[in-house]
Parts: sequence; structure tokens; C-alpha cells
Amino acid sequence: MTRKKRGRGESRLEKAIVAGHLCKVFSVTKGTFRRTKTQVVAVKDVSFEVDYGELFGLVGPNGAGKTTTIKMLTTMLIPTSGKATVLGYDVQRDVTKIRQKIGIILGGERGLYTRVSAIDNLRYFADLYGVSSSIRDNRIKELLQFIGLWDRARDRVETYSKGMKQRLHIARGLINNPELIFMDEPTIGLDPEIARETRKMIKELVEKGKTILLTTHYMFEADELCKRVAIIRNGEIVALDTPSGLKKYVIDTRVVEVEGFGITDKEVAEFKEVSDVLSVSADLGENKQILKIQTPKGSEIISEVQEILKNSRIYDIKIKEPTLEDAYLRLVTN
Amino acid sequence: MPQTLRVIYSAFRMAMLHWIADPQWVIPNIIAPFVFTTVALTLFKDSTGPFGLYAVLGGGMMGMWGNTLYSSGFAIEFEKWQGTLEEVLVTPSKLIYIIAGRSASNALFGLTNMMAVLLIASLGFRIPLGIENPFLFAISMVLTLLSVSTLGLIFASAFVLSRSAQTLTNGLEIPLYVISGSMFPIALLPFWIHPAAYALGPTWGIDAIRLATSQEYSSQTFWAGMSVDVAIILDLAVMSLLSLTYVVIASILFKMVEKKTRIQGTLVEA
Repeated sequence: MTRKKRGRGESRLEKAIVAGHLCKVFSVTKGTFRRTKTQVVAVKDVSFEVDYGELFGLVGPNGAGKTTTIKMLTTMLIPTSGKATVLGYDVQRDVTKIRQKIGIILGGERGLYTRVSAIDNLRYFADLYGVSSSIRDNRIKELLQFIGLWDRARDRVETYSKGMKQRLHIARGLINNPELIFMDEPTIGLDPEIARETRKMIKELVEKGKTILLTTHYMFEADELCKRVAIIRNGEIVALDTPSGLKKYVIDTRVVEVEGFGITDKEVAEFKEVSDVLSVSADLGENKQILKIQTPKGSEIISEVQEILKNSRIYDIKIKEPTLEDAYLRLVTN
Repeated sequence: MPQTLRVIYSAFRMAMLHWIADPQWVIPNIIAPFVFTTVALTLFKDSTGPFGLYAVLGGGMMGMWGNTLYSSGFAIEFEKWQGTLEEVLVTPSKLIYIIAGRSASNALFGLTNMMAVLLIASLGFRIPLGIENPFLFAISMVLTLLSVSTLGLIFASAFVLSRSAQTLTNGLEIPLYVISGSMFPIALLPFWIHPAAYALGPTWGIDAIRLATSQEYSSQTFWAGMSVDVAIILDLAVMSLLSLTYVVIASILFKMVEKKTRIQGTLVEA
């Protein structure tokens, strides 16, 4: 969906975000006496577009460049090369205009003034965003009611639970009534119930017409919420499609999920040598281990699995249809 | 209220709320100047001249400057600790106004130190502190407070880039007491330090405060020979001019620093 951008001189059709070949290189100094400078490429070449009213997902492993991309789009960092516009404004030139119209919601417990109340937190940010005094107090009340914290509005934030703090993050990110919201892992560390509640709020925001760029590590979350998802790896976008479109990357495969105990890294590595194994991921916990093997063979591979894991205990083997997470794993590991 | 003033006020208010929430911070800020004043008064107990005045105002100045310098250096660290730095940086408000508000708030707390020291000197050591011109004394105090805050802003821009703001803070605390003439007359300092002393706004502010407090001091001022009221006004005029210069320098520095941090990513986690 596109729409006409207002108040920019000439009227033209625009996207909410246009990122074109964004690149960010940091200079890092090493050594104490013999100081040497090295270049670290955080984002190599990132291009994508987000429509107005869209919930767009940006996913990738740690260090892939998600956060740096968001920081460039929110004007916190200047791109080394490439161009980007946010709500029709240039991220390098129109810093103040962009900042007035966007909101940022970060995950985690930090990012709030814990020694003061929710009202004082929101009032402070309302003032920094230049929300006029006549609408500030009403908006604070509305937001606190929306997140269900009106009853605790005057309590110090340090007395809040993790879920309450995350809800307050959402209210803070909406204090300037932004057209576009950047959400960086908003459900990280939350228990399932609160995470579900947060996802419900995110959906409500999209229904209200907000555009959202969301980063997450949870593929089911991206699947549930996002209209389109971009997968970023080593500073580059390796795939961009709807969740169902991305699943097509693994349409020819089945996922053999092995639940067991005593599985070693060496055995995991052995699977990678087996022909027709497209990718292997392992969650080797202390009490329960889960191995996910992507292969076009499906159940035909079970005998090979049992052979490799003959020294380990196998509790269960399931053959599953691939999910978005499987598509993601294929794309980021290959 | 213009947006700039609103941001400064809001940052001032937020810093105040934190002071109130953590009242134990006030304790070291009162104890240090109190100890300094006590030591100075004991040393100069039998001396003639306005030494008591130096000790008392020096102690008060210590609280005011220490607080401002601390808040300037600590402003960014505080946001990092709270995890709010990125949220603050992404607002349309300029960082300099936010730090200015915090700086003014902390300088005001320093002013309470000054009052505490005056009270201690007057009641505990029976130092005669009958303020001769209360009106000019009050104006001088407020303007000196603002001048100290603007000086703090210049240092704050450097602290934004520094990874060891606390070390810089500690290193810069004592020189100002000495150079600004808070502890003893500037005339006693080597001649080559005088230009630095007169380039500091608080030097003139302290001079004005002393003149408003005691006639006895008028012979030691830069404006010796002039009437006390004129000398105070001249002190305040020079200080205001210097403070405005600090604001201009600080805003240029902040602009440069903000651009640099956006390129290097030193303030945000990428």
C-alpha cells in the first residue's frame, strides 16, 4: 500500500521506508601503545522498502546488522554509504523531521527511569518530543489505559514487573503519536502470557494504521505478525518475502526433529557430512536436546540418524512440515 | 513556553525528581564543603582580613562547581546506566538542552550546599556574615549559578566523547576552586594564571558575591576604587558575557560531537 506524502512541496507516491544499498562501516582502534585501526563492516548492502500501514519484519542472527540498520533508519547513525528515506525524509538531512514522526520501542527491562513514576517517564518524553501541554496529559492517560497501567501510574517503575515495564516501553514509544514505529525485539525475555499480550497490542497498533518495523529472534512471532519478512545475514538481506513465501524455500524438505540426551557436537557435525542433509541445528541443553535436520528424504533418513546417534539416547523422532524457522535456519546457515 | 525552555525545564525537573528519589546523594555534597570550610576556618582563625569570607564562599563554591561538573560528566553515564540514552537521542530535542537542564538542577543543589556552609559558618564559627546588599547578593548568586552551569556545558561536550568522564571530573574539580579565586585572592596566584582566572565566569561571580557580602573585601577586587554597586554590576556584566560565550562554544562543540557520535556510533550499541 502506498499513499500520497503530504507537505513536501511536490506531491508524489512514497513508501514509509526506502533503504537503498545501506552500508555502515565502523573504525575500531586496537592496542594500547601500537594503536592500529581496523574497519568493521556492520551492514554491507541492505535494500528494502516498507509500505505505509505494513508490519515489516527484519530477522537475522546476532551481529547480522539488524540493530545497525534500525539505528541508521532512526537517525542515530549516519550510513557510510547508501541512501534511506523514512516517511519521505532523508535520514541524513532531515533528522529532526524524522525524529518527530517516529517512535522507538526497545525490548528488555532497561530504557526507563525506574526511580520515578510511569507518568513522570511519559511526561518527560512528551516534553522532549514537543507534545503540546494541552494534549500531553490526556494522551498520557489514554496510553496508560491502553497498556492497562493507569491504576499503577503514580508508582515508581522499579516496583513494576517485567511485563509492566515492557508495556510502559510501548506507551513511551507512542507518546508522540508516531506514524512509524521501530520495535527492536519487544518480546525478548517475557513470559509466554505477557509476550502474547504484547503481540496483541502490536496487532492493535497496525489496525490503527501505524507502520511498524519489527526485529525479533522468534520466527513464530514474525510468522504471526509480519506481512513481509527480510532475513539479514552478515550485513546483507538474503531473502525478503511474505512468511508463506519464505516457507517455499524449504517446500522440498522435511524436518526430522530428534529429541534425545547425550548428543555431542561431534555427532552434530557428522550430520552435516551426510548427503541430502541441507542444514542441521542443535539445541544441546543439559537435560533435553533437540536436533533439527532438514532433508528432502524425510523418514528415509531415520536409519542414518539412529546410526550416528548410536551412543546417545533417543527419546523421540518426528517428521515435521517445515516452518518459517526452518526456512530461516536454511537461509542463515547456508 | 518555547520548546527549548520546555526541554531544559523538563530535564531540570527529571534531575530534581531523581535527587528527591535518592536523597543520600545530598550527604556527600554537604559533607565535603562542610569539611573544607571547617578546615579553612580553623587555619585562618587568628588571621585578619576577610579570610572567613574566603573560607565560607570557597566551601559553597566547591559544592556548586563540584555538583555541576559531576552532573555534566555523569549526565551521559546516567542515561547509559538507565538504558535510556538511545530513547533520549532519538527524540527531536538537542542533547545540549537536556544536559543544560540537568546541569542547572545540580548547580541548584550546589547552591543549597552554599547555604548550608553559610549557616554552619555563622552559627558554628560565629563568622560575621551580615550580607550588606541582600538584593545584589541574591542576583549574584543566581547568575553565578547559571554561569557555573554554562561552564559545565563546555565540559559536558567533551565528556560525551570520553570513556572516563569520572577521571576528567576528578581532575577538573580542584583547579577551578584555585583559579577562580574561591579559596584565596587571585593576586596571590602566579601572574601567568591570571588570564585563565579572568576567562572563567565564576571568578567574576565570586567577586560580586563577596562584594555584596562585605565592604571589607572591596579593596581586593579587580574594580578597586569604584563604588561597590558599580563594581558588582561590572562583575555581573563580564560574567554574563563570558557565560554567553560558553553557551555559543558549547553549542558548536555539541553539534560537532553529535555528528561524530552518529558517524562512529560511540553513543549507541550497534
